[in-house]
Amino acid sequence: MLQVEHLNVAYDTLQVLWDVSLEVHEGEIVALIGSNGAGKTTLLRTISGLMKPLFGSIRFMGEDIAGLPPHEICRRGVIQVPEGRALFPQMRVIENLELGAYLPAARAQRHETIERVYRLFPRLKERQRQNAGAMSGGEQQMVAIGRALMARPKLLMLDEPSLGLAPVLVETIMEVLTHLNGEGMTILLVSQEVHQALALAHRVYVIENGRIVRSGPSHALRDDDAVRSAYLGL
Amino acid sequence: MFYELAQSLTSGLLIGSALAVLSVGFSMAWGITHVLNVAHCAFAVLAAYLGYWSLAWWGIDPLLALPLMLPLFFLLGVVMHALLIRTTARRTHDLGLATMVLTFGLGVVMENGMQLAWTPDPRVLKTAYSSLTFSVGPIIVQAPHLIAFGLATLTIGALYLFTERTFMGKAVRAVWQQPMGAALSGINLDQVTTIAYGLAVATAAVGGVAMSLLYTFDPATHLSWLVYVFLVVILGGVGSILGSALAGLIIGLIIGASSVFVPLAWNNLALFGLLIILLLLRPQGLLQR
Repeated sequence: MLQVEHLNVAYDTLQVLWDVSLEVHEGEIVALIGSNGAGKTTLLRTISGLMKPLFGSIRFMGEDIAGLPPHEICRRGVIQVPEGRALFPQMRVIENLELGAYLPAARAQRHETIERVYRLFPRLKERQRQNAGAMSGGEQQMVAIGRALMARPKLLMLDEPSLGLAPVLVETIMEVLTHLNGEGMTILLVSQEVHQALALAHRVYVIENGRIVRSGPSHALRDDDAVRSAYLGL
Repeated sequence: MFYELAQSLTSGLLIGSALAVLSVGFSMAWGITHVLNVAHCAFAVLAAYLGYWSLAWWGIDPLLALPLMLPLFFLLGVVMHALLIRTTARRTHDLGLATMVLTFGLGVVMENGMQLAWTPDPRVLKTAYSSLTFSVGPIIVQAPHLIAFGLATLTIGALYLFTERTFMGKAVRAVWQQPMGAALSGINLDQVTTIAYGLAVATAAVGGVAMSLLYTFDPATHLSWLVYVFLVVILGGVGSILGSALAGLIIGLIIGASSVFVPLAWNNLALFGLLIILLLLRPQGLLQR
């Protein structure tokens, strides 16, 4: 479904991704793990079109999407929940969700989709009239995921969805991701929470200093000595 | 004394509404598209001239010419944003400063163009209703003031409904509050900012016609109007539509009150003195949190 090949990305003169290749198949949960500053967020930003690659290709459903503007990439069904959520703080929860369905195809189905989002996160229905900026971190993360679902993604990409949340909320969000995947949604998850990522994902890529250093099924990486000592503290 | 004050406050309030509609587009452009369009009032003066000439040449009242001017000015704004502003945006990290210089130049060109075409003579708009008045109890309201108020209410109300009720308008607010979140929601940032900018310039036409009902104007007038626009926008909060409306009315009231209490020559001193005090109390603007 998504093929990233030999991707090189730089901020002005500082190159942060080196020859990154990664693949996500339809129906999978793929996790990208690595420490702070390894290049995880940059990779998602480039796939979403917020950054332009120096060279390398990004193919989605067979089509090269590298360098397209973000709204064109959204239109093809690649939707990102960014780190820090990037909600519209002075707008109501329901307005945030509706704007997720801005593109015509999603907009036509927004009433059904919003009911689906409310079933996943009943809390959002209770708080739909509240300003997004006035909500707790966990609720904001629900809004962010809900807003992304409103766009009817084919590939849902999440950047650190559990960062800074209480364990019980992390649990909720992980359950929702499992549930969505059970309904057939493809997910690319970026996380520093290696335990969770390994538990949730089918396959895992490890990124260090802008390069993919390991990849494989999560059970294999769980037994990998280098991964165990570097990321799991075992 | 009391009667005089009530009279001055009433006309001040109506004048303030004209200032509000003159300013609201400037505020939108600054807040949403990060363009400091110091040529905003040059567009307003251009609209004032177009209204003036349509009456002088064809006998068409400026209020009837205005609906034709709106799409024209919207288009002017769209072209200006697509050709000038976006090109500038690609080459700078400080769009506010860059566009201030750019539009200052544009304002000079427009001012001189109007001088060349229509001479620097001040113009007074004389419509069929120029000297019409209404009495509300002891207070006399001039028809042009009332019409300016109507124009302002309609325009600001329509803008507000647009941003609160329509998908496109909500997208405009979304781009203002969180551009990255907007882009990731599938909103085309270029398209939305260009439309917002077009609307901002279209409101300048309303502001110009409203002001021409109240004041004489000439090609250089745009600079003195701009001073009031800055006042309104800084007081109301950059980008806030209702803030502009409220700030315009407050400044109108201050103008009205100071015309009673202080000598004419000191009016601006009173106005700007109060502005400094208000800014010390609420530096973020009246309606911003």
